[in-house]
Amino acid sequence: MYQLTDEGKKYLKKGLPERRLYELVKDAIPIKDAQKMIDDFSIGLMWAKKNGWVKIEKGIIVREGVVSDTDAEKGLKLVSEGKTPPDKIASLLLDRNIIKKDKTTALTAARELIGKSITALTPELIKTGLWKEVNMKPYNVEAAGKTIYPGKRQPYAAFINEIKNKLLELGFVEMTGPTIELEFWNFDSLFQAQNHPSRSWTETYSIKGEGKGTLPKDSIIKNVRSAHENGGNTGSTGWGYKWDEKKASKIMPRAHDTAISPRYLSGHSGNVKVPGKYFSLVRCYRPDVIDATHGVEFNQCGGFIIDENLSFRNLLGVLKDFVMDVTEAEDVKFYPDYYPFTEPSVQISAKHPELGWVELAGAGVFRPELTEPLGVKQPVIAWGFGIDRLAMYKLGIKDIRYLFSDNIKWLREKTVM
Amino acid sequence: MPTLDVSYRDLCNLIGKRIDREELRNKAVMFAKGEIDEINEDEMKIDEKDTNRPDLWSTEGIAREIAGRYGKKGLPKYTTEPSGLVVKVDESVSKVRPFTVCAVVRNLNITEDLLIQTIQLQEKVAGTYGRNRQDVAIGVYDYNKIKGKVNYKAYKPNELKFIPLEFNEELTLSEILEKHPKGMDFAHLLKGKEKYPIFIDDAGNVLSMPPVINSNYTGKVTENTTDVFIECSGFNLDALKPALNVLVCALADRGGRIQTVDVIYKNETIKTPDLKPKTKTANKDYIKSITGIDLSDKEIKDLLEQARYDVTEITKNEVKVEYPAYRQDIMHERDVIEDILISKGYNEIEPVPVSMETKGSLLKPQGITNKVAEVMVGLGLQEILSYTLTNKENLLKKMERKDSPICELENPVSMTWSVFRDSLLPGILEFFSNNKHHEIPQKIFEIGNCIIPDSRSETKYRDNLSLACGITAREVSYEEIASILDAFMRTTGIGYKFKKTENGIFIKGRCAEIINNGRSVGTLGEINPQVLNNWGIENPVIGFEIDLDFVFKK
Repeated sequence: MYQLTDEGKKYLKKGLPERRLYELVKDAIPIKDAQKMIDDFSIGLMWAKKNGWVKIEKGIIVREGVVSDTDAEKGLKLVSEGKTPPDKIASLLLDRNIIKKDKTTALTAARELIGKSITALTPELIKTGLWKEVNMKPYNVEAAGKTIYPGKRQPYAAFINEIKNKLLELGFVEMTGPTIELEFWNFDSLFQAQNHPSRSWTETYSIKGEGKGTLPKDSIIKNVRSAHENGGNTGSTGWGYKWDEKKASKIMPRAHDTAISPRYLSGHSGNVKVPGKYFSLVRCYRPDVIDATHGVEFNQCGGFIIDENLSFRNLLGVLKDFVMDVTEAEDVKFYPDYYPFTEPSVQISAKHPELGWVELAGAGVFRPELTEPLGVKQPVIAWGFGIDRLAMYKLGIKDIRYLFSDNIKWLREKTVM
Repeated sequence: MPTLDVSYRDLCNLIGKRIDREELRNKAVMFAKGEIDEINEDEMKIDEKDTNRPDLWSTEGIAREIAGRYGKKGLPKYTTEPSGLVVKVDESVSKVRPFTVCAVVRNLNITEDLLIQTIQLQEKVAGTYGRNRQDVAIGVYDYNKIKGKVNYKAYKPNELKFIPLEFNEELTLSEILEKHPKGMDFAHLLKGKEKYPIFIDDAGNVLSMPPVINSNYTGKVTENTTDVFIECSGFNLDALKPALNVLVCALADRGGRIQTVDVIYKNETIKTPDLKPKTKTANKDYIKSITGIDLSDKEIKDLLEQARYDVTEITKNEVKVEYPAYRQDIMHERDVIEDILISKGYNEIEPVPVSMETKGSLLKPQGITNKVAEVMVGLGLQEILSYTLTNKENLLKKMERKDSPICELENPVSMTWSVFRDSLLPGILEFFSNNKHHEIPQKIFEIGNCIIPDSRSETKYRDNLSLACGITAREVSYEEIASILDAFMRTTGIGYKFKKTENGIFIKGRCAEIINNGRSVGTLGEINPQVLNNWGIENPVIGFEIDLDFVFKK
């Protein structure tokens, strides 16, 4: 299939330039001396270096490493004997212009195979029909294939995608907001009092520096302020303290997905249609101690449904259907709960065959002190899932840190079904 | 969420009925917004979910709420009588801790249960509701050791000495803050004050230095104590009154007799505690629309009485109620409606599905993410997900990057997670560094948000969707990463050019900027071996990062 070029013939006689250089170097030799003593010096040096035979230190060529027969040398010998080297070696020799393809040789080689047992079926055998006259050796077809790893999506990323598609099917519109959020959207617009313990240093992160963002339009600010101070027009007594605009304009990493809902309900980041279903699925940040159930950061998936006539019973209905659908749980259970921004509030747990009752979501009817200042007259039922928990439930993971696994072995071996 | 230690036997005694453990867990405890975390023979841990109802943070409070659903309906009755005790508030406290409300509870049979529960309630109320004693601090004292009236007055740090609780030597006020364990814990609440607040009786015996420590003499309550004096101190009377009410009602539930105290301020005298029930009116149509249940007047009355309300009147449109003075959470008729639903039992209410036809939609980034991932997976790469929080060492130093403005946390839990990433490539290298003992080649990519400082953004930072990819093997080549990038760009239909560039991340002469529409949208190249050394990576790495928001025009 191949024959030697003139260069190849020369190398066969004298040795490859890198071999000749290596022999010349002995222990060490200055470059300028070697240059004079050997032809094809630069090619020889390049390959000797690439093979790790020599290195250059301050203009001196120094030997290093152990030298054995190289692929190029083995290939050169095989071709000179009329044999065909493996493809990888052949292509190296072709690149170095040591050998060239010989079509007649290939054909001759094919003819020589008549009546013999072969492993590789060649184009020549197929084209000439000579394959009918050779014996194709059977392989050990029951041996396991060599392990290779396909490209794949990260299991948690794939799960998040699945959840979003489920919500899409159910008619939900996706919303989002910035990772670095205003305290106003994260807390104040949700009727969370400014001195509430969950707004303290230990419960929420804050950002270094001046950290003041831009508050929304005055009418929203005015309404939210009065809801906090005295209830405003909402029929509430409010929290009864002096609301501070400066505190509301501070920035912080979003602590929960619910921060996004008032952005849309108020028309600040998007418009809400009535009736309408909305959701967001985003990363959230709280200064928790990291362990098997608390990650450095976490995903939350929350949303709301707005319509003229929605009740607490509808909220239970939505939660039950969604949880049963996603988790395929046999049973769900509701617990009274508390959130500053919903009343009545409820928590939902689902029964896992092995883990028992797992708390999955918090929900409720948004308080009028939240909706009315944002200009919303209809009831809004809202829910938030700890989507990390749901993923652990579904992927059968016991440690939350695996959701962001940095172990390639685990990622490679995790099945996709 | 407060977690309470409760004795099963004590709880049943206070309810006045033995409720079996299963029923307690699955039903009864929910009436008190609790969840049983653990239950042994007698010891239970109950998580109290309502962070706005300190009245539920004790066995007494939980029992009171459950008892309503097991026969003891309607408003719990608490009566008061004057104790004759006077607390005089000196003007000197106005700059330190200006307010106090007080009470006396007599005829107590102080058992171990009572002692444990009172201490627990006091800690939870001052800790959670009182924001770690800052807003509300509570002291309980042996009433019979108090001589004459109680004075609430501020003293200079070295002006006064007393023996703090569990000590046997007199210390000055400043010594207490330096030496006593509680003194050290709470010294920050008095930091910078010229004088410290003190409760002291006419005989000169110190009761306490709020919000820090009681005295060992008056401030020690034992099983021999029969009558107690209680004070709450802080900055806002509206916050202090409910705290005091919660405490005295819990003690009254164990047989104590509540007596009032006259607290004399410069301009007025107030009589505390005030246990007069509060009132609220709820609209019947509103009850129906929020609950989704058509309840008769009789049912509404019954459900509210189970929740320890008294219904004073039901008209055609309205329900008028009285509720106990220990509750400070009722701001709106909504709060009353929730109590109706809790009495009904959440799991007894038939859920109603929402049958509403709406058209769903996903935002652009998810579509971009999915398509980009499809191409990268097709090129044989494994997707990874990492945290957006990292640290300066990984993000900048190990990458040989210059210090640049990034988004930093003011109060990180650990320095490992203290800044937000502004680039994905460090995460790729971190991944290789964590997987150097696994089979190579490793080919990975990540799609995710970076947080970029942006003065035009309403929150001063913006999210930027990026893609990064990396390959590590025994041998890698610049051509390979250039081909992968080219395949990605061609398949997603983005035009680009390469432009030679230099930075510390990549080897000089093996790094290019990716130019799209005249703007640099990313870089690619072979990673600088110094960076590999910094990460302890032993095989060569090639990679690229590209701004998806820009190339796909968010």
